[in-house]
Amino acid sequence: MTNSSAYAQSGQPFRLRLAGRWGGRLLIGLFLLVIAGLILFPLVVTGFGSLMTNAEITAGGKLIPAKWQFINYKEAWVQANFSRFLWNSLFLSAASTVGTLIVASMAAYVVERMTFPGKALFVGLQASTMFISIGAVVLRPQFQLMVKLHLHTTLWGVVLILISAHAYIFFILLSFLKGLSRELDEAARIDGCSNAGIYWRIILPLLRPALGVGALFTFCGAWNEYLRPLVFTLNNPELQTLTVGLSYLRYGPTAAVQTHYMFAGACLSILPLLLAYAVANRSFMQMTAGSLKG
Amino acid sequence: MLRLRQTGFSYLFLFPSFLLTAVLGLYPIGWAIWYMFFDYKGYGEASFVGLANFERLARDAQYWDSVVNTFVYAGGKLAITIPLSLALAVILNRAFRGRSLLRAVIFLPTIISSAVMAVVFYMLFNSYNGLLNQYLLKLNLIPERIDWLGPDHAMLTTILIAVWGAVGNYMLLFLAGLQNIPQDVYESASIDGANGRQQFWHLTVPMLGPVLQIVIMLAIINSLKGYESIMVLTDGGPIGKTEVMFLYVYKLFFPTPSASFTADQQFGYGSAVGFATAVIVGIVTLLYHLLSRRLNKLQ
Repeated sequence: MTNSSAYAQSGQPFRLRLAGRWGGRLLIGLFLLVIAGLILFPLVVTGFGSLMTNAEITAGGKLIPAKWQFINYKEAWVQANFSRFLWNSLFLSAASTVGTLIVASMAAYVVERMTFPGKALFVGLQASTMFISIGAVVLRPQFQLMVKLHLHTTLWGVVLILISAHAYIFFILLSFLKGLSRELDEAARIDGCSNAGIYWRIILPLLRPALGVGALFTFCGAWNEYLRPLVFTLNNPELQTLTVGLSYLRYGPTAAVQTHYMFAGACLSILPLLLAYAVANRSFMQMTAGSLKG
Repeated sequence: MLRLRQTGFSYLFLFPSFLLTAVLGLYPIGWAIWYMFFDYKGYGEASFVGLANFERLARDAQYWDSVVNTFVYAGGKLAITIPLSLALAVILNRAFRGRSLLRAVIFLPTIISSAVMAVVFYMLFNSYNGLLNQYLLKLNLIPERIDWLGPDHAMLTTILIAVWGAVGNYMLLFLAGLQNIPQDVYESASIDGANGRQQFWHLTVPMLGPVLQIVIMLAIINSLKGYESIMVLTDGGPIGKTEVMFLYVYKLFFPTPSASFTADQQFGYGSAVGFATAVIVGIVTLLYHLLSRRLNKLQ
């Protein structure tokens, strides 16, 4: 790519020109191959490692297991308590996704379609939460609040905290709503539909594509969330999510003999996302690229 | 009348969003700003100490070490991530077979939990039974085991892992920017005899300018703020070599017994450190912003 046109300009013999072009392409191809390899390597190791015996992993140097130990998953499921972790992760992700979409879509609807005093202030408040960060400091008052509300012994406390960080989804829905014509709202209003009815019967169905992308994003974010579930389950191991349970194995006294469980656990955490990504990788990417423009 | 009903309805619909943001977003920040003037350990009485926490912060060598570490970490991460992701974006902006698959593969790390990947990378890089050393030894690429997570290499390893997780994301942001550059500019440039490298420096970079600046700003903020993956991978160790500032803040609030750095929980002092750290991030962002504006004017 880089030099092909230069060769064309300098009028070198055709064969040299061709060699230059192919050489450049080969180099770029090789570069891409190496990058893709480096990116996939840890994931491939994880996948195969989860099917090896611990001895085989420790002996090392091999990529593909001698005998595929599917029993690792069964044992991790029961002994390392991954069934519990998986259920907790599912609950946390599903509940905070539904909550985030409801809260954010209601706010986006009135901000975009209604006039009321304090609108600019509200939008500014939402924007500021996306940029101000004082790190783990906020976790402590959040935790103390949940203790007061008696929500620290369930995952609902974490769910509420994750829902409270809905500014990003709010802005996505807001910009999507801006692109929707108001004709349907007006028609419904003339037909006697209430504001709440318009939200439920007109806005939500029209928002569906944006809600889908938002759901994907929120679900994955909650699924991958580490710090909040960690802090909230310090005294409640039975509430740990996959991410937290896995990191406990890494620091546990038995880490060295449980490498295969850790790989199996990592696979359990990664696989659902990988499947979703395989089906909808465009939506995932749209999300990131969209964040730059909007 | 109608106006009033609309306002009432709007407040009703905004209420959940506002309540959650105020209670779980704003209140904790107010809490921190209040307690940073107190000596408060989380139990017993909090006593007002004025600016004593900030005097202590100024003398806290461990904290300033972590600030230096953060800059090394962020600098290293950016120095690799930005050129690499820009190069990938330029290449993958051209039409060829397998392009979307490659984009999907390179973006893949972005969707995976950094905590989970830190566990996986720990198993890869750990020197005792880490898999990477065994592969490298077997292929005769290294003469003896490298202590990837030891004092000499831990920071480098941490940076490389951060690059692994970030390249796809920034590649995609750059791609979005590249797609806004009209193709005919390139066509007329190559008719005028500009080669690939000239096109890159004289067309792509200037036209990508605004996007490049925003993306670099995002990258700076993200790399100064990130500590989750370091926490799982090294917990700041060994001997504080990978301690970054927000991890230090975390430990003041949630002391971990496993780390090389241990402290009692200190909410008052921790709030002061958290606040100071946010200010440091703000200053760096502002400096970058001023610098890039100055560069813009020069052009």
